[in-house]
Amino acid sequence: MKLDSSRSLLIRLFALAVLVLVTPLSILSLRALGEFEQGMVPELDKKAAAIGRDVAGQVSRALGYGIPVDRLVGVDEFFSPMLEANPEIRYLAITDPVGRVKFINGVDRDELEPHYRSADMNAVGADGVKSSIGAYMDLALPLTAGQTVAGHVHVGFDQNHIATRLSDILADVAVVIVSSLIIAFEILLFVVFVNVTGPLKLLRDLVNRAGHGDFTHVPTSGSDDEVGRFLRAVQGTLRQLDGRYRQLMAYVDEVRSGHFDKGVVAKVGDVADRINFLYRFSPSGKPEPMVERRATDIRLALFLFVFAEELSRSFMPLFAGRLASSVPNVPIDLVMALPIALFMAAIAIASPLAGQLAERVGPRRLFLIGAVPATIGSLMTAASFGMFDLILWRTLTGFGYAMATMACQSYISHAVKSDRRAQGLGVYVAAVLTAGIGGNALGGVIADRIGLRPTFVVSAILVVLAAMLVSRLLSSADPAPGEDQPRPPGGRHLLRLLRNWRFTVLMVFAAVPAKMALTGYLFFLVPVTLSQQGWEVAEIARIMVLYPLVMVAVSPLAARLADGLGWRAGQVAVGGLIGGVGLLAPLLLGGGPLSIVVSITALGVSHGMSASPQLALLPDLCWTECRRLGNTRVLGFSRFVERLGSVAGPILAALFIPLWGMSGAVAGLGVVVLSMAVVFAIASAAYGSGPHIETEEDPA
Amino acid sequence: MAWSLSRKVSVALLGILLSTMVMTGAFGYYKFQSVLSDQVNSRYSFVVFTIKRKIEDRLALGLALRALRQIQELAELEKARDSQILGIQIYDSNREVLFDTDRGTIGSRVPSTWLEPLSAQGTQPFSLTDEDSALVGLPLVNTLGKVEGAVVLRYPATYLEQELGRLLQRLAGEFAVVLLGSAVLSVIAASWLLRDVRQRLVAMENTLNQSVTKGAPAKPGRDAFEGDFVRFCGKAREAVEQIGEASDEVERLDRLA
Repeated sequence: MKLDSSRSLLIRLFALAVLVLVTPLSILSLRALGEFEQGMVPELDKKAAAIGRDVAGQVSRALGYGIPVDRLVGVDEFFSPMLEANPEIRYLAITDPVGRVKFINGVDRDELEPHYRSADMNAVGADGVKSSIGAYMDLALPLTAGQTVAGHVHVGFDQNHIATRLSDILADVAVVIVSSLIIAFEILLFVVFVNVTGPLKLLRDLVNRAGHGDFTHVPTSGSDDEVGRFLRAVQGTLRQLDGRYRQLMAYVDEVRSGHFDKGVVAKVGDVADRINFLYRFSPSGKPEPMVERRATDIRLALFLFVFAEELSRSFMPLFAGRLASSVPNVPIDLVMALPIALFMAAIAIASPLAGQLAERVGPRRLFLIGAVPATIGSLMTAASFGMFDLILWRTLTGFGYAMATMACQSYISHAVKSDRRAQGLGVYVAAVLTAGIGGNALGGVIADRIGLRPTFVVSAILVVLAAMLVSRLLSSADPAPGEDQPRPPGGRHLLRLLRNWRFTVLMVFAAVPAKMALTGYLFFLVPVTLSQQGWEVAEIARIMVLYPLVMVAVSPLAARLADGLGWRAGQVAVGGLIGGVGLLAPLLLGGGPLSIVVSITALGVSHGMSASPQLALLPDLCWTECRRLGNTRVLGFSRFVERLGSVAGPILAALFIPLWGMSGAVAGLGVVVLSMAVVFAIASAAYGSGPHIETEEDPA
Repeated sequence: MAWSLSRKVSVALLGILLSTMVMTGAFGYYKFQSVLSDQVNSRYSFVVFTIKRKIEDRLALGLALRALRQIQELAELEKARDSQILGIQIYDSNREVLFDTDRGTIGSRVPSTWLEPLSAQGTQPFSLTDEDSALVGLPLVNTLGKVEGAVVLRYPATYLEQELGRLLQRLAGEFAVVLLGSAVLSVIAASWLLRDVRQRLVAMENTLNQSVTKGAPAKPGRDAFEGDFVRFCGKAREAVEQIGEASDEVERLDRLA
């Protein structure tokens, strides 16, 4: 195991987390489920007995008038509504005294008759007899005509009924366990990095310098664990060494200034020069503490922040739908889409401004500033009473989201060296994706159990937690006040990027439709469609989680493929085509859950395939612009343009619904996305390969 | 109290475990409560439905609700069948109690709020709560579709809590035992997993002390990090010696006067 590498230590500790979390929770959940099932059985028995008594009473009355059992009429009409009104009861039957089935409703006669004929029906008392027949629990009650037993009424309920009713609990437990593992992973990563590998990585840089005679820095340590103690030992040694050096230099100065013999002064000077030639000590009079920013510092806060936002992903349009009645003369579907569209618009507008603000006030302060509207937005969303204020609070949350995420991007880009920017971006993307999986899934469960509004309160609490983390951990991250930042080129320069046809085609026909599909289909149409089909929020969330899961699986393979083949434009084109075709699934499979699963999976594959190559393509397509404006600005502008697709997606989908219905809207969106992908596929054939420098002729 | 690495990891894991257990426990409990409550309601709704049907059969014969004397026996029979049923009442649309398993209340009036569900819900079962009891009821409708009154069944509001309380107590005990077991396991396992890190840090610290202060040669490292650290120790030792020699030389030169 390498001491300064998180990987192996993290794997071991995550294995421990799986052991400590999954094992006890699985045992307890199964035990609890068993107890719950046992607790339900008496209630089902009582219900079956009540139904059985009622049927027996009515049939016995008819028998009392002298009608033989097999001559009863209208029994089916009597049983059918009873079975319909009590879904836990699977069948009702009437048998004669020897167990021949005379009437039965709900299951096939042959399933039960052999059992009834072999059973000792004389043993059935007034309270009835319960027996297990295959998958059913059967309660037999006597039918009396006067003093004689003329037959029996059988009430059967499904033995798995309770398990089926409680199966949601198991699904919830599975979701909570998976989400907890994701949170555990993030926390362990944080613990390992902050306490072990981060300080040791820093120490390695320091000992490398010291190995070459540079003793200007000492490691810092505030913790009292094993690593902290070790760092203090190294620090002590270096301070001791520094002390000896300072003592020597003080002595040298004393001899130089006080000695009368110039020859001795010169020789002492030589000694001092030799030491200063061999070793470097801090010129400030004492060794300086070595501090370094790391991309991972902000990961947990970013994770918590995005996690908070993802909690409402699966039900946002449904929540809007509940408030939609307050907007007259506007189609309800459009009203439901507006909070998502305006949230995205707020992010698109605020992100460039937040990027500039990050340079001025620093990432820490920007994150804390962004946490304020995000918290207020979430809390007020929970309290919103109409559509207009919901839109206002969601827009405010969007501004906060843009500020906080830009603060994280800014922190990461400053923390990593330019040649390791992709690694830094990986930290950002990984935190967002894991938060997307855990937050979305857990949000559905929380919303199902405690309600939609309280879920926004949970979001607000998580945002505050994230802000507290940033406030505590990034105290020294901000630039010094008044620090001169180079003024970035203005928006007009960025707009000139659109003159680069390759960039424009990539944005308009690949990036924008990808975002349109994401927000229009996944964020808007999926929750609305599934909810209309009677799915609960927790179930909707479980299906929506497929998207980030597929992305997580496909992205690394796609990135490797893109690096290996260098066929980035082709990969983006293929990804777009897959996404477009996937959205046409309702045309083939109908509007049911299967087509939704297929579409979401296709969307995950599509975005997993094209996201990384699309980013990697930008420096090649905009080689000149990247040199002139900087990679970050070009990337930022591309994000702005693609977010226009995020805004358009839900609105377009909502406009399609009144025209073609839910499935038609999905297919309509698919046609739009597919058409744009086809245009990109054709145009990308003319891209060529390598950097494009012809736009250098563009007058700056 | 010193916070060792294994303690930090264990506390983080146990914090997550505890919150996950509380969350799954709470979610599971509320789901079970809701399913059980639905089941209890559905059972009592059925009992009320059977009484309603019998009353409406008689109303269909043109009899007045007030005149259906057998209903009193019917209600008492249903109550006798289930010890959890506190009472069954039949009241008319003027709020007057016509039949009640507690015969003393016949002739009294039900709260006016009990009439609200009759107009609002038509033929659907409705639920009400009284001081310490829960009620399930169904309106009584004659053949002309006019609501004549309602039949309500009363059962203890604490019935569910009693049923669930025992279950919860048992499960809470098991939760505590499992949490304790996991805590012990997590502390031991974290300590074992981090043993290598701890031992190597101690070894490097010893190397540093031996090498720099006592001048002993540093042992070669197990990996690149330890290799770099050994080089650092050597360099630090070398610097100590160089500075020491330089100090001696300066002192010697100073004394040359």
